Amino acid sequence: MTVAALTPVDIGHARYAALADPGTAFWALVDREQVAATLAGGPLLDAYREKAADFARELRALRFDLKPSAVYVNPTERCNLDCSYCYLPGTMRRDGGHMPEGRLLAALDKLRGYFATVMPAGRRPRIIFHGAEPLMNRDAVFASIDAFGDDFVFGLQTNGTLLDRSAIEFLTARGVSIGLSLDGPEAAITDLTRHTWSGRSVHARVLAAMDALRGYDAWSVIATCTTENLAHLPRMVELFHAHEVPTCMLNTVRCTLPGARGVKPADPDMARAFLAALDRSHALYQETGRKLVVANFANILIAILAPTARRLMCDISPCGGGRAFFALAADGGLYPCSEFIGLPRFRAGSLFESDVEAALDSEGFRLVTGRDVDTFAPCRDCAIRHFCGAPCPAEAHEMNGGMNHTGAFCGFYKEQVRYAFRLIADGIAGDYLWVGWDKGTETVFDHALR
Amino acid sequence: MQKRKPRQHRQTAAAPKTPAPTIALRKSCNPDGVGLSHYVLMDRKKAK
Repeated sequence: MTVAALTPVDIGHARYAALADPGTAFWALVDREQVAATLAGGPLLDAYREKAADFARELRALRFDLKPSAVYVNPTERCNLDCSYCYLPGTMRRDGGHMPEGRLLAALDKLRGYFATVMPAGRRPRIIFHGAEPLMNRDAVFASIDAFGDDFVFGLQTNGTLLDRSAIEFLTARGVSIGLSLDGPEAAITDLTRHTWSGRSVHARVLAAMDALRGYDAWSVIATCTTENLAHLPRMVELFHAHEVPTCMLNTVRCTLPGARGVKPADPDMARAFLAALDRSHALYQETGRKLVVANFANILIAILAPTARRLMCDISPCGGGRAFFALAADGGLYPCSEFIGLPRFRAGSLFESDVEAALDSEGFRLVTGRDVDTFAPCRDCAIRHFCGAPCPAEAHEMNGGMNHTGAFCGFYKEQVRYAFRLIADGIAGDYLWVGWDKGTETVFDHALR
Repeated sequence: MQKRKPRQHRQTAAAPKTPAPTIALRKSCNPDGVGLSHYVLMDRKKAK
């Protein structure tokens, strides 16, 4: 039997407080003056108790019963950039090798066979070429996309510097989802963290790629938030909006490797700058009628409104690493997520010498898939833990001392959730979400009492 | 290249526009998220 247990959460709103049940990810916003009365009983609690068991089952299925449906494939170890915070070791990026074309084709063939055993009929698995810089092995990547276009949905995350006209024509003609990276509204800011091995700027080349992609449906830009660009996030949003970027991510720097920790913002600073950027994105939407969706925040909103409709699988516990997706390194190694490719302990053998099922059951994968915020402090006592998920396990393990620790930005996530609830309270949450974000969803609870 | 027209219309908000003393909303679907902080797949509809 599920016991409905609602915990008050101060969301910093003049009129509303939140009540949340972490066991089900259920929430309600109630008049601040009515919190005690609501908790004492009444129509809301009665309606929730009828649904609580269903919600608990749904959350449990999302957290523990998923099968992989995507692979992040690193077709090369090499990168033409030396970004200060990269989660891949510098020696690998500078001196590493490519996965030969024949081997990449063989890898996708084997993955196709695996997915045929786990994917529901009518759905295609996804292959995302990731980095290092995948376009350094462009011929092999493009040959794979052409060879397996009927079998996978493809994506490509690139630093954008090698995304020339012919590459864009190839990728957009095949509907490949493209992600770029840019860290500043101007070169002087971007150059502080993203540059070539010799220190040359790439800002203008990424802007040129953004211009070339203008009007394409399926592209996005990631800005990694560090101490170096934090003050400029609203201007980043203005730049992205002016270039008609459909979706961006303003991600906290991942602190898995020590090099990133030197540019890690403090939580309050990160929250202040991030929320200012969200405010700016909303002002631009009101001025122009055109949205720039900040995907990592949109995902927090969706985690609250429709837990199973999440697009990103970092902000949930266990995270998606090793269960919703896994990563294939250029040497054939299997890892729970790209974030772990620099950490040998998490390597689960080679795709060419073993099989995916064995990797999923490996010690390295189970370390990640077994990380459960219900089981360790302070998360187990946090009412919003299943809107956040305490990302990222790689950071928790490498920076904070183990899987049973928070990630790098606990306070920042709390502020995001509070902000998301305020938007819902004000009836403007939809302004921050993709058009049609809830297509294919069913409303299973809708309670607005006067 | 497949071009799209810039969307100029506003979306219906996820929550009621008129504030009420109590708001609670939940939607449900079959989960298929695979994005992460290093990548968000933007052709969700084509993956079906």
